[in-house]
Amino acid sequence: MNPKDLFLLSFEALVDRKVRTLLTILMVVLGSSLVVVLNGLSAGQSAFLEKQLNTLAANVLFVGSGQRSLSSFATSTSNSITINDVIVQKLRSLPNVSDVIPEYTGSVQMNSEGNTQRASITAIDPSKLPVELPNLEYVDGSTVSPGDRSAALVGDTIVNPPGADSAFVVLGQTIKATATYTDAGKQVTVVKNFVVTGILKPSGNTGIDRSIIVNLDAGNQLLHKQNRYDQVIIAATTPEDVDTVQQEITGMFGKTLGATTPKAIMAVRQQAASGNAAFILMVGIIALVVGAVGIVTTLYNSVTERIREIGTMKAIGAQNITILALFLVEASLIGVIGASLGTVIGIGGGYIMSIATTTTPTGGGPPIHIPPIFVPMDLIKVWLLSLTLSVLAGMYPAWKASKLSPMVALRRE
Amino acid sequence: MTKELVVEKETQNKIVNNSSFALKVENLSKIYDSAAGRVVALDKVSFAIKKGEFVSVVGPSGSGKSTVLNLVGALDRPTSGKIYIDGIDIFSLNDSKIATMRNSRIGFIFQSFNLINRTTVQKNVKLPGIIAGMSSDDANSRSIKILEALGIADKKNQKPVNLSGGQQQRVAIARSLINNPSIILADEPTGNLDTKTGDDVFDMLKMLSHKFKRTIIMVTHNPELAESTDRSILLRDGRIEKDVIN
Repeated sequence: MNPKDLFLLSFEALVDRKVRTLLTILMVVLGSSLVVVLNGLSAGQSAFLEKQLNTLAANVLFVGSGQRSLSSFATSTSNSITINDVIVQKLRSLPNVSDVIPEYTGSVQMNSEGNTQRASITAIDPSKLPVELPNLEYVDGSTVSPGDRSAALVGDTIVNPPGADSAFVVLGQTIKATATYTDAGKQVTVVKNFVVTGILKPSGNTGIDRSIIVNLDAGNQLLHKQNRYDQVIIAATTPEDVDTVQQEITGMFGKTLGATTPKAIMAVRQQAASGNAAFILMVGIIALVVGAVGIVTTLYNSVTERIREIGTMKAIGAQNITILALFLVEASLIGVIGASLGTVIGIGGGYIMSIATTTTPTGGGPPIHIPPIFVPMDLIKVWLLSLTLSVLAGMYPAWKASKLSPMVALRRE
Repeated sequence: MTKELVVEKETQNKIVNNSSFALKVENLSKIYDSAAGRVVALDKVSFAIKKGEFVSVVGPSGSGKSTVLNLVGALDRPTSGKIYIDGIDIFSLNDSKIATMRNSRIGFIFQSFNLINRTTVQKNVKLPGIIAGMSSDDANSRSIKILEALGIADKKNQKPVNLSGGQQQRVAIARSLINNPSIILADEPTGNLDTKTGDDVFDMLKMLSHKFKRTIIMVTHNPELAESTDRSILLRDGRIEKDVIN
């Protein structure tokens, strides 16, 4: 029998049992699309994280009060010390340290000509920004004013919020920042006006793009920090000195100060991402196996229902291999259709899921949308895996059909 | 080279000098071992059928009629004995070559038609040709000619399930003819049909035998139909009781 006739006979058999075939295809679609969606989201998150960390200089360390958790970047407040100018001076005295840049961080409500939005605020010496972010660029006309307490640099996402028709703020415009803090159980509101002297070009680092950056003293006053820094950025003399500096900090401060590097954050995140990817792959494969069981059930039932047809085919001369091929082609067709639809639906689903899981950062500001990334080779692998599982699932029913005695099959009612 | 020719070549040494017979059965026995005990379905049955002969096999239930037909059709293997079709000892062949024999040299007509209802009449007729590797053009033209000869060419695009019993049996007859087999085996071909339709189908088989010199072996319960064939073999308890020329 030639391949075209084989294909047509198998196709007709599937069409003859439309509902069951569609349900079986649906199982494969669910399995493969799940793997595609999860893979795409996982790859998107990894790329997003990598992009964030790649914007940071290779020779910097982040120092915070207490032990730093690498995975969450959170700090433990137990057994910690307050970072003030004394600590900053001590850090400056360490060997292999070229710069120490303290900063205050928080969140504020921004108001510009009646429009409001929440934003992260970083108070830092603006002239030191290139130490932390060497690739940082400004929109034309921007100026960095280190000593100006009323000047503000604004990140691209604050200026151009997603979905907005016009810019939230322009160069030279005054914006009002409102911060709140609690003092003796009372909520205190502090309001301060800033003139936008600089607008940052998109950096790829959402932390910067979604922030306003102000003078250190202005931030201290607005956020009521009372000279207690939230974080210190240390620039080692060279990237190779980073580990040494980290050890020196630990030697000097023990667990009261925590220091970490972009490289370490990246390593932990990558580890978490690979663990995540393995889990995702397992979930996806389980879903695909469920689909494969569906194919076994469908084809097994089909063999039982078509037993007389198989007997007739054998009586008129069909070889065992022809019967085997007929059922395997049916399984392959289910696999091809299911895997192809699953891939397409998975890609669409990935984008929908990424929009649905858009999160608003705790510091406020526009939501963060992490688009999925679909690597063609990964899609091909998922497609092939779905198809292979489908064919494997069809093996047993096909083998059973091919081994049927024609006489026994013809006698079956 | 078609499968048929391959079988032809590979089995040349197995062809005995029985070429004047379409079918020769020698000491054919079939014994079934079951939980109920040992059942001798056929006991050393021998007969030969000439090319173009129309033979009926009759006998009461359990006499071994269907067993003979299943063995001659190579749907089952005998316990002992030999069957020659066109001089080829069919059970000296392996399963694959037996399947090719069924495809090329044997045509089956079943009591319940055994057509594939999801596909068209013409596709049903073409199916043995498709299995044999016949080209699409050949299968199409040959199937149309046969359907025309049997008076159902106008039904070629219909599904068998939409046809009457008589029309379905004609489709089954057409299917049995597509590969121009040496023998046609008909198992109660009129059993599921009313008397008039049954007579029509029988007349068609008779026409195939007399006009086109087809060798036909028909199992039937109907003594009148049996008497209308060239020859009747009466089986009882697995043995030939009578072998009469009508």
